[in-house]
Amino acid sequence: MDLLAQVLVNGMLLGGLYAVMALGLALVWGVLNIVNLAHGAFIMLGGYLSWYLYTYAGIDPFLGLPLTAVVMFAVGYGVQRGLLNLIVRAPMFNTLLVTFGIEVVLTYLAQLAFSADFRTINPSYVGDSIALGTVVLPVSRLLAFGIAILLTVSMWLFLLRTRLGRAIRATAQNLVAARLYGVEPRHLYAMTFGIGIALAGAAGGLYGTVSQINPYIGAALTAKSFAISIIGGLDNPLGVIVGGLFLGILESLTALYIGSTFSDVASFGVLVLVLIVRPTGLLGKAA
Amino acid sequence: MTAMLEISHVTRRFEGLVAVDDVSFMLLRGEILGLIGPNGAGKSTLVSLISGTLAPSSGDILFEGRSIVRLPAYRRARLGIGRTFQIMRPFPGLSVLDNVAVGALFGRGGGQVQMSKAREQARAQLDFVGLAKNIDQRADELGGPGRKRLELAKALAMKPKVLLCDEVMAGLNQVEIEDVIEVIRKVRNEGVSVLVIEHVIKAIRSLSDRLLVLNHGVKIAEGDPGRVLSNQTVVEAYLGKRRA
Amino acid sequence: MLLLAAIAVLAAVPWFGSDVLIQFGINALLLAVLAQGWNVIGGYAGYASFGNSVFYGLGSYGVAIAMAQWQLPFGGGLLFGAALAAVFAVLIGIPVLRLRGHYFAIATLALAQVMAAIVSNVKLAGRNVGLVLPPLNNDPLFYELSLLLLVLATLTVYWLTRSRFGFGLIAIRENEEGAAVMGVNTTLYKTVAFAISGVFSALAGGIHAYWVTFIDPESAFDIGLNVKMIIMAVFGGPGTVFGPVVGALSLSALSELLSSEITSLAGLFFGVVVVVAVVVMPRGLADVLRRFRCMGWRYFAENIRSHQL
Repeated sequence: MDLLAQVLVNGMLLGGLYAVMALGLALVWGVLNIVNLAHGAFIMLGGYLSWYLYTYAGIDPFLGLPLTAVVMFAVGYGVQRGLLNLIVRAPMFNTLLVTFGIEVVLTYLAQLAFSADFRTINPSYVGDSIALGTVVLPVSRLLAFGIAILLTVSMWLFLLRTRLGRAIRATAQNLVAARLYGVEPRHLYAMTFGIGIALAGAAGGLYGTVSQINPYIGAALTAKSFAISIIGGLDNPLGVIVGGLFLGILESLTALYIGSTFSDVASFGVLVLVLIVRPTGLLGKAA
Repeated sequence: MTAMLEISHVTRRFEGLVAVDDVSFMLLRGEILGLIGPNGAGKSTLVSLISGTLAPSSGDILFEGRSIVRLPAYRRARLGIGRTFQIMRPFPGLSVLDNVAVGALFGRGGGQVQMSKAREQARAQLDFVGLAKNIDQRADELGGPGRKRLELAKALAMKPKVLLCDEVMAGLNQVEIEDVIEVIRKVRNEGVSVLVIEHVIKAIRSLSDRLLVLNHGVKIAEGDPGRVLSNQTVVEAYLGKRRA
Repeated sequence: MLLLAAIAVLAAVPWFGSDVLIQFGINALLLAVLAQGWNVIGGYAGYASFGNSVFYGLGSYGVAIAMAQWQLPFGGGLLFGAALAAVFAVLIGIPVLRLRGHYFAIATLALAQVMAAIVSNVKLAGRNVGLVLPPLNNDPLFYELSLLLLVLATLTVYWLTRSRFGFGLIAIRENEEGAAVMGVNTTLYKTVAFAISGVFSALAGGIHAYWVTFIDPESAFDIGLNVKMIIMAVFGGPGTVFGPVVGALSLSALSELLSSEITSLAGLFFGVVVVVAVVVMPRGLADVLRRFRCMGWRYFAENIRSHQL
C-alpha cells in the first residue's frame, strides 16, 4: 500500500512536469493551428541551455529558468517570423514537414555541438527529499511540479484575462479582423510561437533536473507532449494539467505493475484510444 | 405516386442548437420538390442528413421504402442518391473531365469499372450541362457558374435516382439561372426525382411541382408553390430577407 | 523506351560498378521503394503517415524470424514479413485512418516511437539483443532484388493512376467527404492503400535485413527512415509516378557526396532539404520542372507568397 502511494505521488509529480512540457505545444497548436513536430527538440535545447548556465555560470537551474525562457522566446520568435510565417497558409501537411525538418536539424546540430553524452543538472539539493508520512518527495521533483503548475495556470490566466492574450486568441480566430484592429498578425504569431518555445525551454530546464539530456530525446518528448495535449484536450488550456497528470500516473503505475519498458506502450495505447473515442480530449467539448 | 424519399420525423441537434426539428415530408417519383427558407433554416443540414454525411439525432429516412438511416454515405450514393454541394469543392487537382469521371466510376450500383467508359460518360454529362469546352481545364480554374455546372455534372454522372441540388443558382445572373432551370427540367425528364434548395424564389416557383418551406428547422408549409408563397407564415418568415 | 534503357543501365551497375557503388545502390534503391510505398498512402490517398518505418521493421523481423528461428527460406521470410505488415496495416489502419490529417500523422508518429520498445519485449524476436540471419555474401544479388522491388513498386503506382482504385484514392485526397457522397468506400480504400504501402515497406525491410545479416529493434524500426522517405517522396513530387524515385535517388546521391566529409552531416542535410523544399517547392520537383519553364525563378517566390501569413 505504501508502495502504491509512493508510485502515485511519483506519477503526480511527473505529471506536473509533463504538463509544462506539453503546454507550449498545446498553446501553439490550439491557438495558431501549428502542429510543431520539433517541440521536443526545443525542450532539449532548453535543457542544454540550462545545463550550460548552471555548469559555466553557476546559475541555479530553477532560478535561471526565466533566463532560459527569455532566450528560447527569442529563438522561437525568430523561427516563426523567419520561417514558419512563410507557410502558415499552406496545407497542414507542409507545417508538419517543416517542423519535422526543424526537429532533424536541431537534433543533428545538437549532436555536433554538444556531443552525444548524457547530461544532468545536479544542484546540491537535488538528492534531498521531504518525507510526508511514508511517502518521499524529492525536492527537485517537487520544485519542478510546483513551477509546472504555476506556469500552466499563469498561461491560462494570460490567455483568458490579459489584453495581449486576448489579442493572440483573436488573431488566431480571424486574421482579417485582427488586421482591421491594427494588430500585426506576423508579429503576434511570432510572439505566440515565441511563448510556446519559451515554455518548451523552461520545461527542458526542469526536465534536466530530473532526467538525462542528450541530443536525441526530442522525438520521444514530442510524441509524449502530443499524447498529453490530445488526452487533456486542446479546447481548454488547463487540459494539459489533466493530460499530464493522467499520463504521469499511468506511466508510474505501468512501470510498477507491468514493467518500465511498457510505460511508453501504455501512453501510446491511451493516445490512440483517445483519438478514436474522444478526439477532443478529456476536457474538450464532446464531438 | 410512389415516394422515392421519405423523411420521417427527422431531428438533428448540434450542442444545444436544433438545426432540424421533427421534419417529415416525401419526395415523389419524378417530381421536382423545391425547398426554401431563410438563412439558417436547416436546409443544407437536411441535405447532409439525406446524403449520409450527417446522422439524425432521431427519426428515419427511407429510400424507395427501405430505411437508409444506418447506411454510410457511399452506400447511399450507390443506391442512387446524388447531391451537389452549396460550397463547391471540386477535386481541385483533377481536370474537369476527371472530376465528373469520379461520379461515373463510383455512382449508382458501384459505377463503372473501366476508366475509359467512365470518361465517356463524363463527357456526355459535361455536354449535358454545357461544359463541353472546358473538359481539360483544371477544376479549380473554373469560375463560379462553371463550378456550379461541374457540381451538377458530377452528381449526374452517378446516374442518380434522386438528385439533391443545394443552391445551384446562387450568384448566377438571370440568363445563367434560366440555363440551370432548363438543365434541371431535362434531368427530371430523364426520370430523376429532384429536391431543389434555393434562395431565388422566382426561379423555384416556376421550376417546382411542389414547394416545402423550412424556418428555424421546422417545416412551416408544404404544397402547391402559388399557395405556399402567399401563405402568411411563409411571408412573415421572409420579411426583411432578400427576395429575387 | 527511355525508361527501359534507364532500367537496363541501373540493372547493369553490378557488372561495371565498384563495391561501394553497389552498396550505395542497394541503399538508395530500398529508400526509393520506401518513398514509393509512402507515395501510395501519403501522395495519392493524402494521408501522410509518419510511421511507415513500422512496416519496414515488421518486414525485417519477418524475414529474420522466419530464417533464424524457423529455418525457412528467404522467400518464405519475405512472404511472412509482408503478411505481418498487411495484417498490421489493417488492424491499426481501421481505427487510425478515421483521424483527420494531422491527427493521423501524430498517431503514426507515436506508433513508430513505440514499436521498438514493444518488439524488444518479444522473445521470438530476440528481445533487445536482436537476431542474426544466415549470411549471404552476394551484393549484386541484393542489388538486383532491390531494383526489381522498385520496379514492382513503381508499376503498382503507375497502375494506380489508371485504375478505378487509384482514382478513388485521389478523390479521397482532394475531398474526402465529396468522395464518400459520390460512392467511394473511403474506409476500405484508405485501408487497402495503407496495406499496399506497408507491404512494400516490409519487403524493403526484409531485403535489407537479409543483406546486413543482423537486426535489432533500434535499427529495424529506425525512426530516421520516416523523414527520409517522406522528404524523398515530397521532394521528387508526391502523387506522381516517378517523383519518389527521382527524389530518392537524387537525395541519396547528394547526401552521399556531402557526408563523405562528416557523418552526421547526412542527417542534417535531410533536415535542411525538408525545410527549404517545403517552403519553396512544396509540390515537389515534378511541379518545378513543369512550371519553371514558364515562370522561372518567380516560381519559388510565388510559392512563398501564396502561403505566407
